[in-house]
Amino acid sequence: MPGDTTTLDELAIGRRAEVVSVGGPGRIAMRLFEMGFVPGTGVELVKAAPLGDPLELRIRGYHLSLRRAEAAHVRVREQVRQ
Amino acid sequence: MTGRVLRVALAGNPNVGKTSLFNVLTGSRHQVGNYSGVTVERREGDLARRFADPQSPAMRLWDLPGIYSLSPISEDEAVALEALVGGSAAERPDVVLLVIDASNLARNLYLALQVLELGLPLVVALNMVDVARRAGLPVHPETLRAELGVPVISTVARTGEGAAEVIAAVREVAARSEPVEPVLVEPGPEDEALREALSVAEREGRSPGHARHLVVARAAESDDPAAGIREAAEQLVTARYRRVDEILKAVDHHSRIRDAAPAMGTSQRIDAVLTHRVWGLIAFVSVMAFIFVSIFSWAEPIMGLIENAFVWLSSSVADALGPGLLTALITDGVIAGVGNVVVFVPQIALLFLFLGLLEDSGYLARAAFLLDRLMARLGLHGRAFIPLLSGYACAIPAILGTRTISGTKDRIVTILMIPFMSCSARLPIYTLVIGALFVSQEPVFSTGIDQGLVLLAMYLLSTVSALAMGFIYKRTILKSPTPPLVLELPPYRLPRVRDTLLVVFDRVKDFLKSAGTVILACTVVLWALLSFPAERTGAGKDGPVQVGESYGGRVAQTFEPVLEPFGQDWRVGVGIIGSFAAREVLVSTLGLVYGMEADDDDPAELREALREQKNPETGKPQHTALSGLALMVFFVYACMCMSTLAVVRRETGGWKWPVFMFVSMTGIAYVMALFVYQGGRALGFG
Repeated sequence: MPGDTTTLDELAIGRRAEVVSVGGPGRIAMRLFEMGFVPGTGVELVKAAPLGDPLELRIRGYHLSLRRAEAAHVRVREQVRQ
Repeated sequence: MTGRVLRVALAGNPNVGKTSLFNVLTGSRHQVGNYSGVTVERREGDLARRFADPQSPAMRLWDLPGIYSLSPISEDEAVALEALVGGSAAERPDVVLLVIDASNLARNLYLALQVLELGLPLVVALNMVDVARRAGLPVHPETLRAELGVPVISTVARTGEGAAEVIAAVREVAARSEPVEPVLVEPGPEDEALREALSVAEREGRSPGHARHLVVARAAESDDPAAGIREAAEQLVTARYRRVDEILKAVDHHSRIRDAAPAMGTSQRIDAVLTHRVWGLIAFVSVMAFIFVSIFSWAEPIMGLIENAFVWLSSSVADALGPGLLTALITDGVIAGVGNVVVFVPQIALLFLFLGLLEDSGYLARAAFLLDRLMARLGLHGRAFIPLLSGYACAIPAILGTRTISGTKDRIVTILMIPFMSCSARLPIYTLVIGALFVSQEPVFSTGIDQGLVLLAMYLLSTVSALAMGFIYKRTILKSPTPPLVLELPPYRLPRVRDTLLVVFDRVKDFLKSAGTVILACTVVLWALLSFPAERTGAGKDGPVQVGESYGGRVAQTFEPVLEPFGQDWRVGVGIIGSFAAREVLVSTLGLVYGMEADDDDPAELREALREQKNPETGKPQHTALSGLALMVFFVYACMCMSTLAVVRRETGGWKWPVFMFVSMTGIAYVMALFVYQGGRALGFG
């Protein structure tokens, strides 16, 4: 199996991962699902805002900003570096 | 056939050019209102004349809120779903016009599938095909048409390309007689939970499409990730995205978006600076500083022209009519009142011009990204920052601007914070008081710098107070969890000036209508209060009016014992009464108070009059730097603005919040002014 699972907010900047599951309160989980965070989808952590939070992510060909607290509900598997 | 009006609803994600297309299709013939019962803005308009066709029915279009999904979780989504499937058949749209971004199909097609599930007549406008082509993405409207089973028209809303074809397609779809079958995303073989949840919703009599939307909305109410409904919703969303991916493969988008966001190429290079941890913050402060300096310096000369025009009008009317009560009513009441309203148009127009351009360019989303950390500390969304900032210009448009905030409690918190921000109407008060009373013989730096610092202190005090009150409200009377951010950072693009000007025009019209009438009425009432009883004050006759003899003057004299503890006399009391019409009226009322006595309303003379006035008991100057400071602090906090209260009532749907706002703010203002004046005296100032 390539890579261990971690949460999205723990990802290093510039790293890519694959969504494994989305937890957390219903409102946030549904919002994340519908914005494209379904299992198997690739996601990259692009950068953190100047004050450290929120995060800028790339998913399904667009850029989205999530707070660390929200990103922590997304469990991901890091892709192995080529 | 021609007697009927076709009803067309525009739906789409935010940032896809939906409003641009709406403006192209309607020209400027549109009205702004509210969806009934909620605070979501509703824009609708008739088809522009250049698209009209005498052979076809007339067409009325309305712009649904920009949404990513039709699952009714947020207020915007609930409004959009209700507009499409709720109400009677006569209220529902005849055709849905879905606008999707050709450069961002991977996300936009999700909403398209949801609309297809509802089984409504549908036309898809594949917008921004120019952006997609530039980003190297293939544009295949025909393939999309085959996959979705509905007409797909390529458009570039910013240039109007494809608009006529869109209208032709809408007419063609509307003319079809056979009912539209919903296109449903079916559960996969292993999606047991979804099958179960759907059969529950369908047993309640929901259409299959509506049942699907309810599954996700119900899952949003469950905070247990292991709950069956959560599993069902995940299976549904996953199945829809599986279908989206199939369509993407067919139009050859799939491989290209896997590792990159093609339309974001240039934007990422711009963001390397604009959201950089150092340059990003410097750029943000510079942008905001530029906007506010421009508002104050560009608006000033226009405001001067407006003021002069009304003075000229007033004196011309006075000359033509000769002295008398009617003349005074027209010149000092009506003309002055209209002037009080119109003079704020330049600032409001400039603020909304800048905010509109920033929003259209994509920078406003970056501003929310940069500042969300601070707003989240208060418990608010990064988006609440913009209405708060607008509060520096005027609370009226700022409060209207809170319509972008979803969540009623968060919206009310923001509305309650806005009047604490020092609006431009307080500026004339600050400048009058500072100009009159902060002219020390021994300045700390120089008189100009000292005065500037006092002004800055007032703005800082107001900002800190607004943030502190928001923090308190969010944790007490309006307690609610911090809303999720989930903010799209769209590609940067050149803003479309025409669309922005339309927004500016709408906002100015709204201000003139909602606030203007109140300010005008109050100016007239105020004039009457200070002029009657005419036989005692001498109003309408040649010569000075005895303000002290008027109803207003007598009320203020009665309340003088309340004003004395923070260093004010009855004349300022008259000004405070008058300022309720609008804060800047304090200055004109003081002019009236002193002007009527001195028969001279030159502002420089007013400053002089304030400085020279002696306390009749002590013989010392009535107004000192300390009493001036107390007065300014009073106005930092006091909600002395009838227009603000009127707008709050309209936006919150009742008298509860405006009454709370007025009572709490006046109370805080009095206590703080008292604290400053008495504290200052105890320390030996004044």
